[in-house]
Amino acid sequence: MTKENRPAHSRPGDGIASSDILGANSEIARKLKQYYQEIVSDEVPDRFTELLTALEKADRSVNRN
Amino acid sequence: MVPSQGFRQDLLLAIPSLRAFAVSLSQNADKADDLVQETLVKAWDKQASFQDGTNLKAWLFTILRNEFYSQMRKRGREIQDSDGIMTSRLAVHPSQQGSLDLEDFRLALQQLPEDQREAIILIGASGFSYEEAAAICDCAVGTIKSRVSRARTRLQELLGISGEADYGPDAIAAQVLGSGMSR
Repeated sequence: MTKENRPAHSRPGDGIASSDILGANSEIARKLKQYYQEIVSDEVPDRFTELLTALEKADRSVNRN
Repeated sequence: MVPSQGFRQDLLLAIPSLRAFAVSLSQNADKADDLVQETLVKAWDKQASFQDGTNLKAWLFTILRNEFYSQMRKRGREIQDSDGIMTSRLAVHPSQQGSLDLEDFRLALQQLPEDQREAIILIGASGFSYEEAAAICDCAVGTIKSRVSRARTRLQELLGISGEADYGPDAIAAQVLGSGMSR
């Protein structure tokens, strides 16, 4: 991955200039959050907790050997 | 080295946002969960390369995004076809009450090119700063800004919303206040 050749933190004015790109109170911005939030609030499927448990277990057995 | 319990817990906490980003990118719940699974495995393997104190969420989003595009390159044709189907199925009509139906919005979002969709999601929903989004997408900050702007314009067109009414000092003030929260 190439590094940004910009400073990590933008100038203070940058945030304000960026702000009207999306428009925080726009219909689009609200729907975007609603769309996203609906997925975020889904229950996490068991397969993922099981996966992490399996990964952890695999690491432990490697370390024992 | 035995991985810390903390890392597992941090991954667990990140899963809901990873899924939301994956669905936004792939527009398919099954593919999204496969992407998340792949991301977790890769993150686990690479955890030694993660620097404590840096932004884990951004790191994970970067892994997920790279995985998405590498899968997409592998089956480019398949994705193009499904895009065609989405396009023909879309018939967006702004609702009479002026409030937009979420399903219409979802369909409009599908219409966007991937680069615009990911930009507007990262900025407008995932809560990343323009700088963070640029790092995740490996592009310049200005590129992210122009993608967000084009995405917004396109969504407004697709949904038949005019931009003007949405703007105003309040919108800007809220964004400025909100931007303090990004890490």
